[in-house]
Amino acid sequence: MAGRGHGLGRGLGLKIEPFKHPITMDPNYADKTWKILEDAIHEIHNQNASGLSFEELYRNAYNMVLHKYGDRLYNGVAAALTRQLQAVAARVEAAQGESFLKELKARWDDHIKSTQMIRDILMYMDRTYVTQQHKTPVFQLGLDLWRDHVVHHPVIQQRMLSTLSDLIAKERAGEVIERSLIRATTQMLVDLGPSVYEADFERPFLAAAADFYAKEAQAFIASCDCPQYLRKAERRLSEEVDRVKLYLDASTEAKITAVVENELVREQMRALVEMEGSGLVAMLRGDRFDDLARMYALLRRVADGGLALMRQVMGDHVKETGRQLVNDPERQKDPISWVSRLLEERDKYEAVVARGLNDDKTFRNALNQAFEAFVNLSPRAPEYISLFIDDRLRKGLKGASDADVEAVLDKTMALFRYLQEKDVFEKYYKQHLAKRLLSGRTVSDDAERGMLVKLKTECGYQFTSKLESMFTDIRTSRDTLADFRSRLATKGTDLGLDLTVQVLTTGSWPTQGAAKCALPAEMERCCEEFRDYYLNAHSGRRLTWQLNMGTADLRAQFGSRRHELTVSTYQAVILLLFNEADSLSYKEISAATEIPTSDLKRSLQSLACAKGKNVLTKTPMSKEVDEGDAFAFNDKFSAKLFKIKIGTVSASKEGEAEKNETRHKVEEDRKPQIEAAIVRIMKSRKTLDHNAIITEVTRQLQPRFVPNPAVIKKRIESLIEREFLERDPNDRKTYRYLA
Amino acid sequence: MAAQPRETVKLVSAEGFEFIVDYKAACVSNTIRNMLSSQGSFTETELGTINFPEISTPILEKICQYFYYKLRYQNSTARNIPEFKVAPEEALELLMASNFLDT
Repeated sequence: MAGRGHGLGRGLGLKIEPFKHPITMDPNYADKTWKILEDAIHEIHNQNASGLSFEELYRNAYNMVLHKYGDRLYNGVAAALTRQLQAVAARVEAAQGESFLKELKARWDDHIKSTQMIRDILMYMDRTYVTQQHKTPVFQLGLDLWRDHVVHHPVIQQRMLSTLSDLIAKERAGEVIERSLIRATTQMLVDLGPSVYEADFERPFLAAAADFYAKEAQAFIASCDCPQYLRKAERRLSEEVDRVKLYLDASTEAKITAVVENELVREQMRALVEMEGSGLVAMLRGDRFDDLARMYALLRRVADGGLALMRQVMGDHVKETGRQLVNDPERQKDPISWVSRLLEERDKYEAVVARGLNDDKTFRNALNQAFEAFVNLSPRAPEYISLFIDDRLRKGLKGASDADVEAVLDKTMALFRYLQEKDVFEKYYKQHLAKRLLSGRTVSDDAERGMLVKLKTECGYQFTSKLESMFTDIRTSRDTLADFRSRLATKGTDLGLDLTVQVLTTGSWPTQGAAKCALPAEMERCCEEFRDYYLNAHSGRRLTWQLNMGTADLRAQFGSRRHELTVSTYQAVILLLFNEADSLSYKEISAATEIPTSDLKRSLQSLACAKGKNVLTKTPMSKEVDEGDAFAFNDKFSAKLFKIKIGTVSASKEGEAEKNETRHKVEEDRKPQIEAAIVRIMKSRKTLDHNAIITEVTRQLQPRFVPNPAVIKKRIESLIEREFLERDPNDRKTYRYLA
Repeated sequence: MAAQPRETVKLVSAEGFEFIVDYKAACVSNTIRNMLSSQGSFTETELGTINFPEISTPILEKICQYFYYKLRYQNSTARNIPEFKVAPEEALELLMASNFLDT
């Protein structure tokens, strides 16, 4: 409101002109006043200000500016300063050698002090004239003039630079130098402006450093091994950082470290990492955590690919050693040691990453990838890992604390994670678990359950549901059996032998087809008894006997010695035949027992051919059982122990045939899973081209196994046949979902 | 820093009247503050006395009053700060002095 329509107003930047004296001036006034000021400036410059009156000088300068002699004053000051500085430059130039920097510093300190004083007395000019005319303020003018006349004086400039470089070179070579002078000089350059510091000192300094370190890197790489080199490089880096802290400007730190990193690390990193006998591979082999940490710290500084190089070399090394490990024919014979070796390898690299590589996630990933790559090189990896767990859960627990077992199993789970064919593992695990459960060989129920929980968290409910129902079966069987026995006791029936039955749910267990065999009468009666009991208790169920999975304890008399034999049901059936006859031919046994050929052969083999457990003798004597062989009860059998366990020759590791069979089964099991995945995908996407389906299916099934594209193609074709899908009539490569 | 901070400063007018004011108050004027704190040894710094041959006694008195007025109220948040009265006949000279003293 106030300013509207009026030219005047407080808010409108009203300027009050300096009052103009009406009296006419002495024409020599300016000259006289300037003379006073010039003398004063001269005195000030000579550090001789005492006796001068600030007020008087200020007043004179004030009046000069007030009377429009600002130009005169300003230029006069500039000229006076220039003259003085030229004299200073001459003095500095005259100073040689060590005194040069001292002289420079002393002159500089004086100059700063006098310039400040001059600025103070010319304050009024700075405030009015300089701002109005857009001139450089007095103090800055002093600095600029110093820069132009002293620092950029050709001799001084050159000598300053060479003196500084010489000193720094001396210090790099290990000599003690006068740091405070360098500090003062660089500080002066910084005060003159960052660009002055950069141009007159920093740039040549960096170039010299690059040159120096390039040479040094050459020398080091030729004379030192990798750890030594790394130590030296590390020391150089910290030296340069200290140097910056001690006497250079802080802005230089990043630049000089970049130079040193570039010359000492980046240029040489490949040579270092791959150095024969002492590079990364040697460090990994020797578990040299400190050296690794050093290498990591140095290479991390190299933004473009330092760590990537290290990761790659490490990954390749792990893959290579892993591949050798996995394919080592000696180790392949023993799954347990095969897996433990892998676990050791993993422990080792875990330690490397944790202690040498700063727990770097990217390295851990690289490590996992490398492990995944080589673990899956062996088609038997799933089987071996399951066997290893089997072994731990059978006997490994004895003596080991729960925590230890947990730790081992956890580590094994880590290996399991690397597996691509998790369904194969599941298959084997099921088999092994079934054996453990049925033979009562599990040492700790808790450990078994713990393992199950681990698998569940890893692969989900679907993976373990069948395994869990196996446990339930065993538990209910125990109750059923107790009930059955008490029933027998109340009925007063004596079966003549002790029957243990485990009722298994069909489908949850890896059962082979129920092989029939002719049981001896007393066993047959037991079975009947149990069947009656069970079907009474649970109507509508069907009971089939899995004789191939049972065991029996027999008491036998060999001459005068008595022994208790633990044998499989088949073996028991065979042995019971010898109650009636001392000698039987293969054909007779086969006819009497009706045991399938392969099982019969295996049972006979373990009865007659196992050393120290040959309760039967075979003619002719040989390792293999043939159809023409004859068997006789071995009267002369003797053993130290009363109880003897005769295992079936079903080695822990699968034979070639069984392996193929399992393989085949797995393939069969995969088919519906692949089909289900295809249908799921097509149901939501309706149309999709071939490659997209393959990718999508692979992605969905990844957690369980990696499906083969050819197999997927077959499944698609089968689905088309069954009219779940059809090919797009226009594009043969595209499929459509048929609701 | 040149002189150790003084308690008081003596300001001398054109007519030779002396005003002794607190150092703090005198420093309301940037010019005076510079005079007293400038590097080197100007006479003002050494003696603690400043001559103003171009400022008359009444004006210097008014200036000293203003120093204390400024010091008293510059950081005050009070609502009713009293007006610093300047007589019209003094105004011009005072304006010139304040320009000189950068107050």
